[in-house]
Amino acid sequence: MKVRFWGVRGSIPAPGPDTNRYGGNTSCVSVRSATGELTIVDMGTGLMHLGNALLPTEFGKGQGHATILLSHAHWDHIQGLGFFAPVFIPGNQFVLRGHGKSSSMLEGILEGQMNPSFSPLYTLRNLGASFEVRAVSPGEPFLAGGLRVTARPNPHGSTTALAFRLEEDGRALVYASDAGYPDGGPSREVLELYRGADTLIHDATYTPADQATRRNRGFSSYEQAADAAIAAGVRRLVTFHYDQDYADADVDALRDACRTYLDVHGGKDIELVAAAEGMELDV
Amino acid sequence: MRVRFWGVRGSIPVPGRSTNRYGGNTSCVEVRPRGGWPIIIDAGTGIRRLGKQLMDGAFGEGAGTAHILVSHTHWDHIQGMPFFSPLYRRGNKLHVFARQQSDTHLQAVFASQTEDPYFPVPLTALEADIEFHELIEGERFQIGATQVSCTRLNHPWVAMAYRLDVDGASVVYCSDTAPFTDILLEHEFIAKPPAVGAPLPQDIVSKLAAMHAGLVALCRGTDLLIYDTQFTVDEYRQRPHWGHSTPEDALLIAREAGVETLCLYHHAPMRDDDAQDKILTATRAASRLAGDPFDVIAAYEGLEVVLGDDE
Repeated sequence: MKVRFWGVRGSIPAPGPDTNRYGGNTSCVSVRSATGELTIVDMGTGLMHLGNALLPTEFGKGQGHATILLSHAHWDHIQGLGFFAPVFIPGNQFVLRGHGKSSSMLEGILEGQMNPSFSPLYTLRNLGASFEVRAVSPGEPFLAGGLRVTARPNPHGSTTALAFRLEEDGRALVYASDAGYPDGGPSREVLELYRGADTLIHDATYTPADQATRRNRGFSSYEQAADAAIAAGVRRLVTFHYDQDYADADVDALRDACRTYLDVHGGKDIELVAAAEGMELDV
Repeated sequence: MRVRFWGVRGSIPVPGRSTNRYGGNTSCVEVRPRGGWPIIIDAGTGIRRLGKQLMDGAFGEGAGTAHILVSHTHWDHIQGMPFFSPLYRRGNKLHVFARQQSDTHLQAVFASQTEDPYFPVPLTALEADIEFHELIEGERFQIGATQVSCTRLNHPWVAMAYRLDVDGASVVYCSDTAPFTDILLEHEFIAKPPAVGAPLPQDIVSKLAAMHAGLVALCRGTDLLIYDTQFTVDEYRQRPHWGHSTPEDALLIAREAGVETLCLYHHAPMRDDDAQDKILTATRAASRLAGDPFDVIAAYEGLEVVLGDDE
């Protein structure tokens, strides 16, 4: 699997010279399987730039297909959809898999952002490509984009956000953004989802001090990300979903503090990477 | 009064090196009358930083009052609202104005922006006192010493232009609008645009002419005209139904209304800083060639324009 980061920011895009290195776009990650198939995780503003990069490929000719995994429907995870060029090209096919009591309820939520008060698109029906929405059942693996995918919900403030495990040829990538664990850390099921992952992309919105004053928002600090990585025995931890007020120097400091925390808490062997826009990782 | 730009981008925020100079935040302009509370036009992502700055003053004490004039409720004009810090401080007072829609109350539109599952904090949980005011085009009203007037624009679901007169000066905010020549944009979804320049039915020609006249009257003699110039001429020809103008369209209105300064605004998301420089240079050249008496500037984040008596 090849992973690329198109947006690593939480809550709201944060333009400006002080976010140039890590990037200011909201959450979006692409995953290419060894067979060349495309899976997209979350649809923050980074999705627009992924879409533009796909135009010279089969997606520009209306011959592309991809799976979109949606962790949850907060704005910063869906706001890129209306600006994703391939979704307006007839012939392209997208299947979105996300959290919902039913597929039609999930589709209704995505319709809500397109309604004409908010968007000139009026409705998902005006996307030129085929766009199918399917709710996932937690814990039940499904095949998507050449990968075996399993989803489990994490608590996230007043709602939940899905974490996804993507597997191919014995390699596992986990995406766990917007995770607001209770005091005991992740649930047993979620820890099993993370178990032994080659790469764990984990919510690290805050420093512990900031997290302590904003617990109700349902995000992790880098310490909680590191604790989860250590408990699940992952090989590599990728910090993700930085607070919109953190400048590049703040994220540098967050990464360094996370490294130290891993080293003194039994995670010396865990590789640590701070996600940045444009970064590519091999899993 | 002082006019300050906090977000100048259209459609979607665009962080990154290529937008460092003009800025990547979506639409938000602050008008500060001398000795008065801020009047904010549009609540794109630019309003987040404005909110943080306001918290350093009376808003941080829960003793601030702000008025927000919303051109329309498309995402790029309201997406910063939930991140406007003064909303989370009890005692602050916020008045939100936008055009009355036939089918939905303004409060309901803003309530659905932050309802579950889109945002963790619903409108009802905000600490500040928020009052919504629905406007009919042509309406005139006072905010403190400021006289506000408005007229409708040519944009899907309809947008409103605002004029603010105070301190012996005036500013007009005109975003978003298509020119008034090729298509009438109201509430129907238009899948395929008509050809630019094709003849239109007489009733549509009349409606567009009235809208055009209303806008020119609103802009008459203003010190600063802030105008949607998202498109190049080629882009407009491909997408006249998206409801945006070109710098050429803005020059025509500025000329007709006799403005002092024209400010290009609502820059396209994929326009990098160098491309935006070129658009400004070309627009200035065209304006000089036409013998226009007014200045042309381009909005960028952090730009502050002082108008009338300010001391």
